[in-house]
Amino acid sequence: MHDGLLQVEGLKTYFPIRKGLLRRTVGYIKAVDGVSFTIKAGQTLGLVGESGCGKTTLARSIVRLVSVTEGRVVFDGRDVLSAGGDELRRLRGEIGLVFQDSYGSLNPRMTVGDIVGEPLKVWGEIGRSEVAERVGALLSKVGLSRHCINRYPHEFSGGQRQRVGVARALALGPKLVICDEPVSSLDVSIQAQILNLLKDLQEEFGLTFLFIAHDLAVVEFFCDVVAVMFMGRIVEQSPAKELYRNPLHPYTRTLISAVPRAEPGVQRPRKLFRTEPLEGSKGVFRRDAQGVLNCLSGCAFYPECPERQEKCLRRMPELDEKEYRRGHYVACWKS
Amino acid sequence: MNEQGQTVEARPGKGAGLWPDAVRRLCKRKLAMVCLGVVIVYFLLAGFVYLAEMFDWRVGPTRWGEEVGQSYAPPSSRNLLGTDIFGQSVLRKTLYGARISITVALFASLISIAIGVPLGAIAGYFRGFADEVIVWIYSTLSSVPYILLILAFAVVLRDKTVLGYRLTGIAAAYLAIGLTSWVGICRLIRGEVIKHKDREYILAAVSYGCSRRRIILRHLMPNVFHIVIIDFSLRFVAFVHAEVILSFLGIGEPNRPSWGAMINDARMELSRGVWWQMAAATAAVFLFCLALNIFGDALRDSLYPRLRIQ
Amino acid sequence: MDLIANNKRDVKKSDGNGTLLSVRNLSAHFFTEEGIVRAVQDVGFSIRRGRTLALVGESGCGKTATALSIMRLVPAPQGKIISGQIVFEERSLLDLNEKEMREIRGNRIAMIFQEPMSSLNPVYAVGDQIAEAIKVHQKKGRKEAWADVVEMLRAVGIADPRRRVREYPHQMSSGMCQRVMIAMAVSCEPVLLIADEPTTALDVTTQGKILDLLDELQRQNGMSVLLITHDLGVVAQRADDVAVMYASRIVETAGSRRLFAEPLHPYTQGLWESLPRLGFKGRRLRTIPGAVPEPLRFPAGCKFHPRCPKGRSDERCRSVEPELREVEAGRRVACWHARGYEESQSVKCKV
Repeated sequence: MHDGLLQVEGLKTYFPIRKGLLRRTVGYIKAVDGVSFTIKAGQTLGLVGESGCGKTTLARSIVRLVSVTEGRVVFDGRDVLSAGGDELRRLRGEIGLVFQDSYGSLNPRMTVGDIVGEPLKVWGEIGRSEVAERVGALLSKVGLSRHCINRYPHEFSGGQRQRVGVARALALGPKLVICDEPVSSLDVSIQAQILNLLKDLQEEFGLTFLFIAHDLAVVEFFCDVVAVMFMGRIVEQSPAKELYRNPLHPYTRTLISAVPRAEPGVQRPRKLFRTEPLEGSKGVFRRDAQGVLNCLSGCAFYPECPERQEKCLRRMPELDEKEYRRGHYVACWKS
Repeated sequence: MNEQGQTVEARPGKGAGLWPDAVRRLCKRKLAMVCLGVVIVYFLLAGFVYLAEMFDWRVGPTRWGEEVGQSYAPPSSRNLLGTDIFGQSVLRKTLYGARISITVALFASLISIAIGVPLGAIAGYFRGFADEVIVWIYSTLSSVPYILLILAFAVVLRDKTVLGYRLTGIAAAYLAIGLTSWVGICRLIRGEVIKHKDREYILAAVSYGCSRRRIILRHLMPNVFHIVIIDFSLRFVAFVHAEVILSFLGIGEPNRPSWGAMINDARMELSRGVWWQMAAATAAVFLFCLALNIFGDALRDSLYPRLRIQ
Repeated sequence: MDLIANNKRDVKKSDGNGTLLSVRNLSAHFFTEEGIVRAVQDVGFSIRRGRTLALVGESGCGKTATALSIMRLVPAPQGKIISGQIVFEERSLLDLNEKEMREIRGNRIAMIFQEPMSSLNPVYAVGDQIAEAIKVHQKKGRKEAWADVVEMLRAVGIADPRRRVREYPHQMSSGMCQRVMIAMAVSCEPVLLIADEPTTALDVTTQGKILDLLDELQRQNGMSVLLITHDLGVVAQRADDVAVMYASRIVETAGSRRLFAEPLHPYTQGLWESLPRLGFKGRRLRTIPGAVPEPLRFPAGCKFHPRCPKGRSDERCRSVEPELREVEAGRRVACWHARGYEESQSVKCKV
């Protein structure tokens, strides 16, 4: 678990829920609830899960864009969570971020050249003409012509804007790139272009990726190792090909079956989830504002798990407890 | 590596940013352009009068309080708008009056922007304690009746010496207005900053190590500043009115004509059937404010186009 | 599961071959400051009773505009239906006046939209919104309508409907909002449901449940569905027939199985190949180079030719736009290079 470029241990990010006149904290939204993993240099870790599972919060927690409640994050041997102001800024400069919303993540009042050159100017170590030179080179690398420098984001299509986002993420020559759903909002024919681009860049620069997505096929294509997140925890982690060949956690199996296959006539299993009411489980579950059941003890997937048992109610299964073959971890009492 | 090579065709002509677009759209609206012309004329007039006084060009009477002719003469071919109590031409007074009104409104605007924008940005971006203090200040300030507040400031400031300069009546007027009217723009900026600061492009800037100062100045301000421009054009009108009221109440320069003073004089005159001074001043204010309002609306429409094919 | 106790189903007029909706040569333009956007050009397809037609295409291809045209909800004065025919249950929709069209909307043809949260009115309770449709079209009183509403919510799979009926949209998840929208849409038992990207904004598991629900409702009512989507997986699983749109035109139509077995148009082929699929072994994905053209700057000739491996250098593809032709029974394609294209007849001559 050591000697990785990025090590995350027991990361917890809780958001307090404040109610009442005095704004008292009545509870917590446990967006990230004890996540640990390691990414080795040059590797790509994919983080898969549905909306609300905490993957975006996790990505932001790693660079401290949200305040972390507990845990350790070590990047390149340096502790991120205890870094002070300037040191934190320096660390951030070594991690590139690519966002999902290609329109919202680019400043509409800045030209593309400004946007990509801004990281270089912030660090102030090179002169103006060199900035321009580097920006031009970066844009070429991502497949945009140098004429784009003076144009504004709204003049480009979604795919082109995402390329600008990638160029910006690479501006400072980072070792680690965190991509938060980089292709989810793009058209199908453009997704493939961007994925190929990212793969090429990875090879050329030896980049390490933390790749977050909800599309299983995209993650399988792009990543070496895949971790499946559910309700703030990682429930399964394994090398990509192995995961799809042999998914062990019931949630992973559900996800895989729910993906509509672009092959007509392939039958989907009908009963993906359990929806019957739960008996004998008072005090263990609580409905939150959305009507979603929150598990207070035991496995978070219990309410919908097609394979649940009594034992699943009592204790939350840990990730490392069951290890199947090398590198395949599951957090489930069944396996 | 670039399988598709150049993916963006170079379109002819650049500059498709917010302002060039807005200006282009604005130019197509004839009424707005006419109004802009009117506003510019007023400004030029004010500037001309200012220079005339500074360099002492003798283009008109230098003593406004002197008897120079027939008192209260009605509009005729000699005095197009009639004369006032001293026989001074009302037309001349109206033209000269532009200088005071516009100077006061302009400087008041600049002062209120200089105070309101930074405070709004700080309150909106940092939230927490700073936000609470600033909101408390402006809530308190705006709870006091506007006129009383301005009056209080003006009376206190008049004839005081600041940094070696003696404050004239005009300076007292615009200082008073500026120091009390920044609340509106502060609120607007604060709201916009709060809206924008959690947007992803700000997050992205933080993520590559941008300092907070740079984020506010370089990233947030350009996105928020158009509000200032629109607010400026609409608030200018309010400041002109404020100056009129101040003159009405006796604050301001007694030795120079201003629209407010003219309207003030008209209180007595109307009972005597002398309507031309009041009419001239009111018409001058009305025309200016109307033009500025229409232009301000058009500007806002141009900056927020409704149908934009994305 | 039964939907509403009293069925108001009329005796359906039956068209010879069971065609419910037939669109022919439909064109719709939008007038903007920068020019005329020809969002829909010469679009034609038909939907049979009880079947699902998927209208596939990427963003900006005109599929939503097409759906709005069918419902005659094109925003005027910026938008206008220029020409074409829309025949629904043997009536020409374009000839109806607004009052007659209102009778049809929500009643015979219903529509659900992409963003469930923003398609519901945030200041009204969910029950009120569904009841409104019932009250308008079925002329029921408030109490009766609400009773129906509770039944509808149960039918679309919302647990504890009596409580949910009083809730507001912001208190519900997206999946539930989409169910509410579906409840609203089918409350009057329409014969045609237009679903504009109904599951794009939802998680994959929720997507499965919603699509299952639509299947179920379709089976019960014999409803036809026009499913607009860009997700080929969804199309493969749920659609009977497919029409592929590119840059305001239909480029290929076929039965779903035949289309996936053998796509004829290079665009469909490219889309199919660039999809990352589970179990894919390659190192790089095949892509369609370039990007979707902007509506104001459509290329001359075939709109796809700049990105087409065959058409890029072909003189004819660059200058002459291929029209939609029926190359075999039930298959149409608009491509000079498609198998059987040269010999076949133009679709325009057919009735």
